Amino acid sequence: MSNAKERKHAKKMRNQPTNVTLFSGFAANRSVKHYGGGGKPAQTQKPESRSGSAQQQESKVTHHSLRDPDVNEQSSSKVTFRKKGGWKAGPEGTSQEMPKYITASTFAQARAAEISAMLRAVTQKSSNSMVFQTLPRHMRRRAMSHNVKRLPQRLREIAQKEAEKTVHQKKEHSKNKCHKARRCHKNQMLEFNRRQKKNMWLETHIWHAKRFHMVKKWGYCLGERPTVKSHRACYRAMTNHCLLQDISYYCCLELKGKEEEILKALSRMCSIETGLTFAAVHCLSGKRQGSLMLYRANQYPREMLGPVTFIWKSERSAGGPAGSRQLWIWLHPTLREEILEEIKAACQCIEPIQSTICTPNSLLTPLQEKSQTGLPDEKIVTKRKRKDDGENAKPVKKVFGNRTRDAHQPCSWSSPATGIVVSDLTMEMNRYRLIGPLSHSVLTEALKAAAVHTGEEDTEKTPHSWWIETCRNPDDVSLHHRQEAIFEMLGGITSPAEIPAGTILGLTVGDPRINLPQKRFKALPDPEKCQDNERVRQLLMEGVPVECTHSFIWNQAICQSVTENKISDQDLNRMRSELLVPGSQLVLGPQESKIPILLIHQPGRVTGEDRRGWGSGWDVLLPKGWGMAFWIPFIYRGARVGGLKEGLVHSQYKRSPNIPGDFPDCPAGVLFAEEQAKNLLEKYKRRPPAKRPNYVKLGTLAPFCCPWGQLTRDWESREQTQGESCVASSPNSEVGDSGNGEGPRAAAPDKTLQFSAEEPREPEDMDTECQGQAGTQPVRDQDAALGGLCVVRERKLLKQLSSWCGPSSGGSWVPRRAPGRGQQDLTRETCLSILSRFPRALVWVSLSLLHKGSPEPYTMICVPTKEDLLHLSQDRFYCGPQESKHSDPFKSKLLKQKKEKRRRRQTASLEGQAGEEPAAGHEALTQGLWSGPLPTVTSHCSRLLLGFVTQGDFSMALGCGEALGFVSLTGLLDILSRQPARERGLVLLRPPASLQYRFARIAVEV
Amino acid sequence: MVRFKHRYLLCELVSDDPRCRLSLEDRVLDGLVRDTITRVHGTFGAAACSIGFAVRYLNAYTGVVLLRCRKDFYQLVWSALPFITYLENKGHRYPCFLNTLHVGGTIRTCQKFLIQYNRRQLLILLQNCPDEGERKAIRKSVTRSCLLEEEQGQEELSGSGSEEAALE
Repeated sequence: MSNAKERKHAKKMRNQPTNVTLFSGFAANRSVKHYGGGGKPAQTQKPESRSGSAQQQESKVTHHSLRDPDVNEQSSSKVTFRKKGGWKAGPEGTSQEMPKYITASTFAQARAAEISAMLRAVTQKSSNSMVFQTLPRHMRRRAMSHNVKRLPQRLREIAQKEAEKTVHQKKEHSKNKCHKARRCHKNQMLEFNRRQKKNMWLETHIWHAKRFHMVKKWGYCLGERPTVKSHRACYRAMTNHCLLQDISYYCCLELKGKEEEILKALSRMCSIETGLTFAAVHCLSGKRQGSLMLYRANQYPREMLGPVTFIWKSERSAGGPAGSRQLWIWLHPTLREEILEEIKAACQCIEPIQSTICTPNSLLTPLQEKSQTGLPDEKIVTKRKRKDDGENAKPVKKVFGNRTRDAHQPCSWSSPATGIVVSDLTMEMNRYRLIGPLSHSVLTEALKAAAVHTGEEDTEKTPHSWWIETCRNPDDVSLHHRQEAIFEMLGGITSPAEIPAGTILGLTVGDPRINLPQKRFKALPDPEKCQDNERVRQLLMEGVPVECTHSFIWNQAICQSVTENKISDQDLNRMRSELLVPGSQLVLGPQESKIPILLIHQPGRVTGEDRRGWGSGWDVLLPKGWGMAFWIPFIYRGARVGGLKEGLVHSQYKRSPNIPGDFPDCPAGVLFAEEQAKNLLEKYKRRPPAKRPNYVKLGTLAPFCCPWGQLTRDWESREQTQGESCVASSPNSEVGDSGNGEGPRAAAPDKTLQFSAEEPREPEDMDTECQGQAGTQPVRDQDAALGGLCVVRERKLLKQLSSWCGPSSGGSWVPRRAPGRGQQDLTRETCLSILSRFPRALVWVSLSLLHKGSPEPYTMICVPTKEDLLHLSQDRFYCGPQESKHSDPFKSKLLKQKKEKRRRRQTASLEGQAGEEPAAGHEALTQGLWSGPLPTVTSHCSRLLLGFVTQGDFSMALGCGEALGFVSLTGLLDILSRQPARERGLVLLRPPASLQYRFARIAVEV
Repeated sequence: MVRFKHRYLLCELVSDDPRCRLSLEDRVLDGLVRDTITRVHGTFGAAACSIGFAVRYLNAYTGVVLLRCRKDFYQLVWSALPFITYLENKGHRYPCFLNTLHVGGTIRTCQKFLIQYNRRQLLILLQNCPDEGERKAIRKSVTRSCLLEEEQGQEELSGSGSEEAALE
């Protein structure tokens, strides 16, 4: 504070002359104010009346008369200038005996020096304001800083200098083109193409960039959240209206080949225990979209790769090569590398397909190469164009598709053994997601099925020959009409939740830009459209028939032609302006583009009991290049656009895990957690220690990450000690399990690595393994870093857990839901048998708070003690116990470090060295964070730690706090078996920055 | 702008004894003036003048002193200045007096006046100088002060420190 003040003052006084005394030589200071050598002040002086003005002249005369050529004196009073402003006497000037006389030259020198000092003070302004700011208001003019001539003459020179200075400070931007040239379409396109080389842009990027906070993630530029306040509005849109998201960044992998071969290859990567696989009947026929978890081949339940959704192309043409099928696997970009590698390995696809000659289906390769090579070509062209003033320059084209990929990098691979072709269709299609009950209305309003081409005239001229071909075939036409009828019927259905999950509908639509409304409005469902009750019921019961799922979007050649033959916005607008009646419907006739699309139903909330089907909607797949043409019409029908954050909110309300944050057992999830921890730590360190929570005192060991590995290991060791105490009483088969807990782990060295660097208690053999593993490839290391961690995804087990979790009041009907299975009781035997299969497992749970409290990520899930539960049963509004404050063992260390630092700095300054950083040996302590290895995480606080929350917020649907997270399976079974049946499933939540525990009910949702 | 209005008295310390300059310090001068005011105007005068009174600038080589006081009572200070006849420091007493050159409202005007005044002094000195060597030296300093003015302009342009101006 005072320092800043001083600095400000110093800046102000920079050019002011300082006092000059004869002692200032050894005071070595700019002023002698602090010079303590002054004797007694002259106290009593006799009043001597001498008229000053008369004396002045006299004194001058004496000065003049007293000039004696005295060399000594001249040197002694040599005047030197200080560097800044003032001036001072040379060291010789401090000689105690003063000469009797002064010479004229000394006198003149002194005057000259003073003049210069004064001049400096007068001419240099010391304030921070600009010159024109010093002018009184009535003399100020508009644009003074821009135009010097608006200033009064006397100030122009100074202002000019000032302006030059600011120009220097300003960031130089490329001035080779003027603003107008830069904004011209062609140059802008070039610039856009250049800017999206590093991070891919979606087709809606410009639209998003104007309205969203953009982030660079996963190699894309994505809109994170709208710049307007819209958290609640987006929730409402998901619940009551329609929310639109551009999820074109999702990657698509295409597998082509014989059905049996593909199934055989992929069946090793998934397990029937986690749900339906690729071979599910509905999915295999192409009727529905399926979703599943992929694992490394034959590694289930470990080495999880990530969740994917997939669609099979329906077997429509019976005449085609028998059994040759097409499969699209859609996945999150963070999972792409791993899954692509694994699928390639599983299908034995090693041969990259470079060019068109290999297979006809790799039509996308030349296209991509074209798009890749297009850029440098265009650059050359434009350079030449600039020279010869645009004679035969071909127009710069907007590049669609993946621009970041290397041109020579293959994107499809074939296998000679199995005949499967794997290709990467990333960015080849647009995928928009519509969420909410009004998505039907938005879709049916915005899209109109393409007109069937009937006329025979001018068939050659139109570029849409594929559609004309199709229209010649009566079967195709009838199919198109059926698809259209079903699509129209959708408009009358009030909510997508009524439709069977994962329904697929193929469609060919006309150009949606043609019937764009004048103004944005909200599309509402039209109940008249579903008058035909019988057919609607059939649709709702069975979904879309298999034939109707056919779409031309599966055909790469047609997609390419559709992309290339798009009428540009400019042409369309020109045609519109040439209409005879302004504002009337534009009729293009056969010229109108026909776009094949695929509608995929997205199931909403499928787990839990309440709000089933919440957040369901439709995904629209479009060929590339048509992104904006569909985007704007959707928005004009009342869809609200959300970004990544809204996607997170959606998954949270759906209670589904968010990719990749909620997959701690897959490499992408681990990477994500590390990144998140780094960001949060950085943010935390930016605050001063007094203004941030001291997590050590709050008893929060890991406020920025969830140490899953250590958590499960701690619980395992706890269980073991308990088990050993139990063994004496019940010699059972579980003895082997608990006793040999270390055995299988030592046998599988890959899994024994530490979860993170800060983990302390590792057996020696693990450490040696760790060193031995240091040189292996990173992928393996990442998997190994999970430390044998896995997340329980076996549906049977989850169902059982779910029934155990509920309070006994619900126990009467929970078994009814799964009648066929022998519902086991929660006994020690069953627990141990489960634990033997999953020694270190996590369970995905959802928590809802009983009373107050809003959980946040990294909130700790703890086990309530008996007293807590007793207190709660006595007082219904008991809000929860409090953690007592912990002591900070690092404080003294930190102080010591600080002191040492200070001492070192002092010695350094004494030695006159520039302060070198000697803190190499010490790891930097951060005040308020646990440094060094973490102690036992489970028993660090007064309540046992069970798990962590990964997503949590106040739920607008429930009206209370809601959280999702993982708990240790061992711990969960432990508390479930301990708690009485009535209070089963009660846990405590404590946010990292609070001491207050809150009660919450735990539920495992299947 | 709301501010305290001051008066700045630009004075020159004149003394026959060059050693007087040795003892010219702002503390000494401050005490001296305050004492003189007390002597001349009594307790009221001392109190009235003590608010805002300060020695803003002082040059022992030329004997130039810049005193600041509040505008309301500057006449009390001004009228007390002729009563300073001795400068006492470290037990030495030197007879001297203060000669008021200028009374200004801002430091800036005083500085401007001082430039003018010093120029005039140098010119007078140059005209009255009979000795050739002396004359040369004086001319040198005159030209330097003029040159400096130009340099000032350049310095400001470059915006860097004024090392070039630091002549020997």
